[in-house]
Amino acid sequence: MSERDDDLELQALQRELDDAFATTRPRRDFEDELWLRMQAARPATNRLRDAIAGLLQGIREVPAVPAAAVATLLVVILGVGLFASMHPRLGGGGAATSNYNAEQSTRGAGADMAAVAFGRLPSPVFGDGTKTSQPVAPTITGDEYFGPAQFVWSGRLTVSTASARVYRYREPSTTDADQFASALGAVLRERPEGLLGSYSAATYNLNIRPTVQRPLSSPTYYVISSASMPPVDAAGASPADVATIFLSQHSLYPDWANAVMFTTTGDPIRVVFQRQFEVAAGTPSAFLVDANGDRYGIEVDLQGNRPILVAGMLPVRMDAAEYPIVSPDVAVQTLTSARPNDSPSTPPVAQLTQAELVYVLVAAGDHSFYEPAYLFSGKVQVGGKMYTKRILVAAVDPSQRNP
Amino acid sequence: MVERPAFEDLYREFLGRIYAYVRSQVGTSADAEDITAQVFMNAYQAYGRFEARHTTPAAWLFRIARNATLDHFRASGRRERLRRTIQHQPVVEEDPAGQAEERIQYQALMARVAELPERQRDAISLRHSGLSFDEVGKLIGCSEDAAKMLYHRALKALKEAVQREGV
Repeated sequence: MSERDDDLELQALQRELDDAFATTRPRRDFEDELWLRMQAARPATNRLRDAIAGLLQGIREVPAVPAAAVATLLVVILGVGLFASMHPRLGGGGAATSNYNAEQSTRGAGADMAAVAFGRLPSPVFGDGTKTSQPVAPTITGDEYFGPAQFVWSGRLTVSTASARVYRYREPSTTDADQFASALGAVLRERPEGLLGSYSAATYNLNIRPTVQRPLSSPTYYVISSASMPPVDAAGASPADVATIFLSQHSLYPDWANAVMFTTTGDPIRVVFQRQFEVAAGTPSAFLVDANGDRYGIEVDLQGNRPILVAGMLPVRMDAAEYPIVSPDVAVQTLTSARPNDSPSTPPVAQLTQAELVYVLVAAGDHSFYEPAYLFSGKVQVGGKMYTKRILVAAVDPSQRNP
Repeated sequence: MVERPAFEDLYREFLGRIYAYVRSQVGTSADAEDITAQVFMNAYQAYGRFEARHTTPAAWLFRIARNATLDHFRASGRRERLRRTIQHQPVVEEDPAGQAEERIQYQALMARVAELPERQRDAISLRHSGLSFDEVGKLIGCSEDAAKMLYHRALKALKEAVQREGV
């Protein structure tokens, strides 16, 4: 073998090593589980010190706003409020306001329709800060390719509505978390950094987390079983039934529409109650998905009939308002005409064949939103292997979104 | 004065890289999780003493990871020798609990890396975890040039192992 061939082989091996180290990652839940363990293991003195430091930092970071500026801001807000109240159709930035009453909309979605729409909406921001979930760097996880791609659409999707509900919730406070825990019979132990509270009950510990920006995540509660947690007494029941019984016994069964899925192998077995949102009257419900396109809601991990971990969406009160959405054709056009992110080589071509309307979390500070989006999926060939490719495109009409 | 990033930012940024480094050193995903958890627990406790002007967060975290991995080998080596002496059983390399969820694309290649001699394995793993040769050298106790040479020797050894045993 010539020296040049030898060099080329070494370079190829280096590239393969780069890929190997870039794609070897722990299982999906490990990051959050370890973070919670670390928070729970911190000494009380550290937590107190951090809390004081955080308070002092917060005080230092408050900008010195001149009183005149505050006065101007108040005048502007009052002015807009007065104008909006005289012209209700303008209050929502052009979005259609709803005539549904609270009782109707609470069924299935757990939300109240807002008296007025929410104004211009924040755009969903996917993994790398883009308006679609098109990433910059190629990453392969399991059977899925997360890298940049060019898209060809050969499927068919019909959506029978030109508008869809957008749901809004106020960021839960420590009081909200305490009330939730108290209703379950859990007692506050401490407030570790990053959590609204950490609580104890007779057979489990409960941790409650607010909305997280990165990785994007809804407000979540975690029920972590202690050794004294008994198995669910339901011999012969399916994992879905065991999980349902457990959630019902602990007042955690969701009041929102869902579909139940569970793994048939593995230890623990995971049961997922996938959350659905009402899209519009007469339109099928849509699943809530994360930035990867995976459905979520409440997950129950079972070892036999014994629940060991429950991770579920913290119940929050929601308002809803209808907004115009782009048609699937327009969403496809956005996708197929988009230039892939800067990449030294030509990205592979993904053949998209399926699509569905879904909901995604859009975190926006004090108030966050669940907004409709299109989830496209198909196949892409990379390095001689076929992988699944999924991509999200925001569905709310761009005229209703902040740039 | 160099500002320290928030620990959570470090955690989110480096968890995957540290796990991959550890996974390339040990035989099972369960061990890799245990060691990675220990690394970040230790780092969390020690972060108050970390000084950004002396070293980069990456070098600091990988030093903790390397020490934790060496501790693991020392402990498991003692345990395994004792167990085999008592039970006369061969080394177990299966990891049934971890296989279901493992997110590892190049399992065979990583296994070949894990079989390299300790210093060569470290040079390959640290370099492909994104550290500079200067940082690799400091971690394994040699100069930058020596780290480069060690790395290239390790790469050739790995290539031969791959050709001999396949991936």
